[in-house]
Amino acid sequence: MNNHKTKAKKPISPVLIVIYILLVLLAVLYIAPLLWMLSVSLKDNPELMAAPFSLPKAFNWVNYAEAWTLGKLGIALLNSVFVCGVTLLVSLFFGSMAAFAIGRMRWKFSEAMGTFFLIGMMVPVHCILIPLFVRFSHMGLTNSRFGLMLPYITFSLPMTIFLMTGFFKSIPGELFESAAIDGCGIYRCFFQIALPLARTGFFVSGLMTFINNWNELLLAMVFISDPLKKTLPVTLTYFVGPYATNYVQMFAAIIIAIAPTVIVYCIFSNQIVEGLTTGAVKG
Amino acid sequence: MKMKKWISVALTAAMVGSMMVTALPVQAEEPVEITWMFWDDLEATTDTTSLGYADVINRFNTEYEGQYHVTPITTNLEEYDGKLNALIAAGDTPDLYICNPGPNMDVYVEAGAAADLTDILTNQEADWYATFTDGIFDRMTYDGKIMGIPTCFQAACVFYNTELFEQAGVEVPTTYDELLTVCQTLQDAGITPISCSAGTAWCLSMIAGYLCDRQGADLEAIANHEANWTDDVFVQAATKLQELSKYFQPTAAGDSNDQATAAFYNEEAAMLVQGSWVIGQMNGASDTIEDKCGVFQFPAIEGGADPNRTIVKTDNLLMSSTTEHQDAVIALMKMFTDETAQKYMAEVAGKFPINKNVEIDYDVAPAQLKYVQDIMAQATGTLGFYNESLDSVEAGDCFDNAMVDVFLGNAEPLDALQTVQDFYESNVWE
Amino acid sequence: MDKILRNKKAICIFIAPALIMFVLILIIPMFQMIYYSFCDYAALTPPSFVGLKNYQNLFFKDKTFRIALKNSMFFMVFSAVTQQVIGLLLAVLLTNIPKGRNVFKNIYYLPCVLSSAALGLLWAFLFNPRIGINQLLAKFGIEGPLWLMDSKGFIVLPMWVIAFVALWQYVGQNMMLYMAQITGISKEVYEASYIDGATKPKAFRYITLPLVKPMMVTSLSLNCIGSLKFFDLVYNMTQGGPNHRTEVLATELYAEGFNYFKYGYASAISVILLVFCLIVTLLVKRVIKVETYEG
Repeated sequence: MNNHKTKAKKPISPVLIVIYILLVLLAVLYIAPLLWMLSVSLKDNPELMAAPFSLPKAFNWVNYAEAWTLGKLGIALLNSVFVCGVTLLVSLFFGSMAAFAIGRMRWKFSEAMGTFFLIGMMVPVHCILIPLFVRFSHMGLTNSRFGLMLPYITFSLPMTIFLMTGFFKSIPGELFESAAIDGCGIYRCFFQIALPLARTGFFVSGLMTFINNWNELLLAMVFISDPLKKTLPVTLTYFVGPYATNYVQMFAAIIIAIAPTVIVYCIFSNQIVEGLTTGAVKG
Repeated sequence: MKMKKWISVALTAAMVGSMMVTALPVQAEEPVEITWMFWDDLEATTDTTSLGYADVINRFNTEYEGQYHVTPITTNLEEYDGKLNALIAAGDTPDLYICNPGPNMDVYVEAGAAADLTDILTNQEADWYATFTDGIFDRMTYDGKIMGIPTCFQAACVFYNTELFEQAGVEVPTTYDELLTVCQTLQDAGITPISCSAGTAWCLSMIAGYLCDRQGADLEAIANHEANWTDDVFVQAATKLQELSKYFQPTAAGDSNDQATAAFYNEEAAMLVQGSWVIGQMNGASDTIEDKCGVFQFPAIEGGADPNRTIVKTDNLLMSSTTEHQDAVIALMKMFTDETAQKYMAEVAGKFPINKNVEIDYDVAPAQLKYVQDIMAQATGTLGFYNESLDSVEAGDCFDNAMVDVFLGNAEPLDALQTVQDFYESNVWE
Repeated sequence: MDKILRNKKAICIFIAPALIMFVLILIIPMFQMIYYSFCDYAALTPPSFVGLKNYQNLFFKDKTFRIALKNSMFFMVFSAVTQQVIGLLLAVLLTNIPKGRNVFKNIYYLPCVLSSAALGLLWAFLFNPRIGINQLLAKFGIEGPLWLMDSKGFIVLPMWVIAFVALWQYVGQNMMLYMAQITGISKEVYEASYIDGATKPKAFRYITLPLVKPMMVTSLSLNCIGSLKFFDLVYNMTQGGPNHRTEVLATELYAEGFNYFKYGYASAISVILLVFCLIVTLLVKRVIKVETYEG
């Protein structure tokens, strides 16, 4: 008998060691370029050109301070948090509602509707930019954070619906049936059973759409002209000049811009992992 | 819930706070609001020209406080045309916007997005018109109408390191053959002769443009299909580019414009073919280059054309054809071209003033400005950057790319030029 | 139960908000785009109808479009194969190691949360001949190639480099999706199979693989659409150069629309891109479904 408990106590197998070595090598491939970016962000421009791979001679924290003030990163960060936060909540809510109807409810066009929304992921944003901008401009929605949220929410919907449909489909049907027997209506089924059970789905689709919006440049650049309403990706381009680029400050600004996503990701990923490990397969 | 509240409070506070800062100098009567669109951020930039423009904007808003107020709309260079197109398509054309000369400007003029300035310049503001350098409006005139005003003027020359030249025992070359000999001697002495970027295609194209022109190429004949890209002049020029590229730094293929320029001011290479904007850039980055850097006119090709023509470029301002505040826009354009702004352009940014009343203080200005000025004094004619002199932006890119292919050795000169020829046959000459 | 799930009013309420936004903000401009693809349109002046001219030019005249199409196809196939295989492999490995699962998972997923534009700049730096890895290679006496400028072969080296960077950045996403699915498979299923004497590879073949198939549709579709629309890394690493050799569909339509003011032409490319995405998605659904029925 080769049961679970005796297996765990076995000495570490050579296969496992090889696997670990591979995983660590891969991890180095992932970490090294990012560490390099960190090291570059602390140099000055001549040093970057002369000795790109060495550790910085002196830590130029001033790059961060200058990037912060020159790029107006403070206000940009707030704008990004505001725009992307609202977008995240609204798109998850609308998206999961539609996904529930598509994935769980029974009607003739559910499949077709799912494919219809999928088209949204295939349209290149560059080519609907001008018609969209012209319409928004006539409605006075350009140069406003609200006007930026609308397309962001809409562009997040297809991905959210696509992923959430899958998650709702994977919830066992018996749960709804027993709820129905207990006298639950469709809305309570959605809010009290489907939504809590699809937590992993929310995390996955929320993360993916949030990151897309957080990094979105083109719409933000074209829609917003007021420096006080600009989002982070737009301010990052401040450091690329028409004839010369201020690399060290640009990298410092990039690090400031990615820090929040990394932090948010770390917080949420650990919470989700708790949920995942209960069902995890342990060797 | 509490968290959300806190965030919204913090947000509102931040917004209100930041709005207060900008809203402080509130006037009793609302000043006339105009917009100016530009391709670099005015506060984070380290580019000397952009800083000069930022200064103009500040001066304007101070001097006309209560009367006019200009708000800059900035993007980065790459998204500039995209945003400007969107604004124009939506009927929100900025009152004043910057534009490259050549096909790029043609697009906006032909779309009717630029106002005709002829009457304003020649009648209403004749005094202002008189301050401009003679002939400067030639490349901004369409069917006899002046459609834009220049803010500065730049010339492309060969910058060279006098110390490295002495070290190798070479003199300034005046002909292409001499240039090759100089390059060879420098290379034998272990010095990189020329620093150039093929990673940024227009840098390579600048040398190619000079070679074509010296060889005797006639772009007007090309435009009218009286000449072909596969003609001998172009093949000769492209062959010379191939020849010359042996003397570029080993990393030329991948270096960006910044890096190629840095290689020159860090004294790793003896020559750099660049526009005069590089003067401000290199003196800002190196303390020692000013004393060592000389400038000479791109050498002649024996049996070729007039060797005293210079490649030049202007930055242009176009006024929206739909602006409601012409007075304010004209006042702003005047400020861009007044003596203070133009003096700064010359002395700090290394670009030539388009205002002939400006007296440059050559003790303050970088030494190279004077050298380029001397070359310009000898110039018998000017031509635009090649990629800005062809029939469309795409045609310019097509030429640039053909030259990059020649440089990389992917195509023989004739084959590369054939691709430009094909492009013209199917897109321009139809 | 069935009656509840057929509640028409509820379906409408659930679908309506998403559908209204979707149609107003995405579908209507999309139809405008399709109309523009039959027009000469520079965005600055009103469009003028020219029929199929744009499409004719695309298919019969435009050499760059052929390169872009080739590169996009290469990129899609390369990404689909490598990202699926490596993503699944990593997911299986990580769910089976006793320690450090979360650490590795977070590290491999990290580039997914960063902006492609920023990472593109970073990698362009690392492949730059003057300051990048060629300088490291030179210390070992190796002369590195021109990573982003070399232009020989059917698929040029820079395209491989970009495909590699994309793999580096996005494989974590597939890994995550597969991990979510695998960790959802109940432990008992595996334990029962081990009791029956199954080895780990066998358990993978007969339990894991069939059960992750639904996720394969999801992840492969996302993968294919994502790689057909791929823009950021190419734009920031090579801008489609040298001489359009690394142009993909999205970068070409951007250049045509915004640099060359040929918005109608760019719209035609978008329409073709859209059609490709549709075909590929339907194909993915079809192919994997057929297999499920066989299994």
